[in-house]
Amino acid sequence: MGKVEKIGWLMDVYTRPSGELVCWLISEDGQRWLLTMAFPVTFCVAGNPSVLRQAWRFLQGRGAGCSRQVRRDLFEGERTVLAVTVDLPGRLPEVYRRLAQAFPGLDYYDADLPLSVRFVARTKVSLVGRCRFETDGQQLVGLQPLESAWEMQPSLPPLRLMEIDCDQDPALHPPQQIVIRCAKRCYRFSLQPLRAFLVNLQALLRIYDPDVILTRYGDTWLFPFLSETDPLFNPNRDEQMKVEFRRERSLFAYGQVLYRGAQALLFGRWHIDRCNAALFGEIGLAGALELARVSGLGVQEGVRKSPGAGITAMQMQTALQDGVLIPAVKQQAESARTLSRLIRYDRGGMVYQPLVGVHCHAAELDFASMYPAIMVRYNISPETLNKKDAPAGLIPRTLQPLLVKRLALKHCLRTLDRRDSRVSELKARQTALKWLLVVCFGYLGYKNARFGRVESHEAVTAISRELLLQAKESAEEMGFSVLHMYVDSLFVQREGAQSEQDFIPLVEQIQQQTGIGVTLEGVYRWLVFLPARRDRRIPVANRYFGVFEDGTLKYRGIAMRRHDTCQYVAETQLDILQCLAQADDPRERWREAWALVNQRVRLLQRRQVAADVLQMAVKLSRDPQSFRRPSAAAQAARQLQSQGVAVRAGMRLFFWFSRQGVSVTPPGANELDWNRYARLVMQAAAEMLDILQPVREVRQFHLPLSR
Amino acid sequence: MGRTVPTVTCQLNETEAMLQSFRRTLRRSDQALLDGLLASARRHVAAISASGALLPFESALLAMLVEQARQIAALQQEISILQEDLVRLRDGKS
Repeated sequence: MGKVEKIGWLMDVYTRPSGELVCWLISEDGQRWLLTMAFPVTFCVAGNPSVLRQAWRFLQGRGAGCSRQVRRDLFEGERTVLAVTVDLPGRLPEVYRRLAQAFPGLDYYDADLPLSVRFVARTKVSLVGRCRFETDGQQLVGLQPLESAWEMQPSLPPLRLMEIDCDQDPALHPPQQIVIRCAKRCYRFSLQPLRAFLVNLQALLRIYDPDVILTRYGDTWLFPFLSETDPLFNPNRDEQMKVEFRRERSLFAYGQVLYRGAQALLFGRWHIDRCNAALFGEIGLAGALELARVSGLGVQEGVRKSPGAGITAMQMQTALQDGVLIPAVKQQAESARTLSRLIRYDRGGMVYQPLVGVHCHAAELDFASMYPAIMVRYNISPETLNKKDAPAGLIPRTLQPLLVKRLALKHCLRTLDRRDSRVSELKARQTALKWLLVVCFGYLGYKNARFGRVESHEAVTAISRELLLQAKESAEEMGFSVLHMYVDSLFVQREGAQSEQDFIPLVEQIQQQTGIGVTLEGVYRWLVFLPARRDRRIPVANRYFGVFEDGTLKYRGIAMRRHDTCQYVAETQLDILQCLAQADDPRERWREAWALVNQRVRLLQRRQVAADVLQMAVKLSRDPQSFRRPSAAAQAARQLQSQGVAVRAGMRLFFWFSRQGVSVTPPGANELDWNRYARLVMQAAAEMLDILQPVREVRQFHLPLSR
Repeated sequence: MGRTVPTVTCQLNETEAMLQSFRRTLRRSDQALLDGLLASARRHVAAISASGALLPFESALLAMLVEQARQIAALQQEISILQEDLVRLRDGKS
């Protein structure tokens, strides 16, 4: 085959066991290409010159080329480094591992970067991005970008989708049936006999040749199961590759224990397990493509990892494009300081306790992407700290286009009608970008972040507190009273101010004063700030519910927002809110709301509620053997273990309250602990209604429950 | 990630725990008043935190005083309204 030039999309890059790089592309004519490409990669080593010379000698004859270069370290300035170039990118990890083992005292740079990030930074072709490529049928010999990652309306490749679903949660019961949907057709297969199922699955993969396989439990059950039962079964498009399995793990992040299930990654097509891809449920395929486009992380990786990995990949791209060295291990330690300075600066965002009670015609004002906007506007980056007139830092330059794109998408969404077919896709893309922006601030202070530095993290919160105080002062000068402030939002009220127009001058004033975009989230017809459960005199931040003038409901911090609340209890709170929302003042309808609650409690007492809406959920904070008390979580974990299920910290377990304690399988009507559910409903109702009714009548409506 | 210095809320919780034996020794009627004072400081945790004081309880005491002053001001306002009403009644202008 002679050379051909095509226009298409770069879908993914990976290495084969031989070490060569493979690009998966889709051309405009619908053809799928798996092309190898010559792609030498380099990592750098710095340190004592005599040790570097030994390292040079060590590398001779190991298939790596060495040269002396002068490169820039973000913190230490220019450094003389030993640049080690490996022709086959798949061999780099091995060369690096051996060298680091032999010379642990040297500083290593650019050694553990994701391949796709290197590729995107060098070729300027973004993942899922439109490009022109030239090939001889085997090798990719030319590649040019035709579309930027920051394109507002990027062209989309014609993807073929296959969905594979099983009839039961494999952690609880072995599935019996598999449903496969593809090209508007639906196939239902029994898993027994297994041979027939495998033949059918292989035939469907061959006929439809999907680019994306969407599954439920594909990571944790389907692909491991298929690989175990038939080692020759290969769902990859690239027949030279086997499925890549990654082990499950529990980790501690953001103050909680998280569980990441095992992973099964494919080559030449993507596999996304809806049950194991943290972000996919929220952002869908459109958001996953956007994430890959801007971050340079492959779609399969991006949806399974935290957004932090995405923002790190973006920072790496900026560093690679600038020729800045990326340390394999973070080298900056927090600088020493006095106790008084630590107390002064080691603080979070401003949280102003709300005025507890009912407030009518209050407005909520939000700073748009406040922390990233501060980083960009005030040039906050680890290397620019305490430097006046420093050029734009690595972090602000990484965030600037992201911020601009998200604000543009949000603006676009505001101009569209809710029923417009583009809304869901734009929302998904906007949400994907939001998550990257949300975590970029945390990563400044994260101890393992390559370009993190806690002082810059503190600078952001210090500026945010100052800006919020400026906003408060502006509001008070204009005659508003501030009901609540929460990090990047404030709730204000003024006698006579009822419509959005009444609050616009304040929005403009704050925007002008702070230089950060402010949006009017809306004007509440009424808003209720709730007190602490243990003492009604103590206000609690970010625990409220209310209804906007247009009837939209908003609630934070109450039972129905919690992941461990069962559906029936959550629905009760939503019913209460909808009932209250019909009035101009919620206090006018508290009796009706209680009547509604009593009705729902009576349904429980009559055992007329389906078990599936009573299912409770809990996230295990530790391994089952570490529980000291027989809490519901501990009981559920032990029951599952006794059924042979592997239970790990961070896993989400489901159970029902039963007369014997808890049950991980749906109990019969006689076994369910109906009184306990009734108490949960009453507690959830009291959480919202106690504050609305006159003090002397509080809890009067609580029903006596009989066992 | 994570902060080294405990939040003001945590520090107030610790102070309240330390004051438990003080509270226990008070008469029940006074215990309720103490609880009210401590709760009133919670309305100003943002300001207590902003003071950046080594001992935040000093700022918490100031916050309690602010709440007391607010209540006194509210009561004074009510008294003056009642006094005006009284004068009006006395003058027969109800």
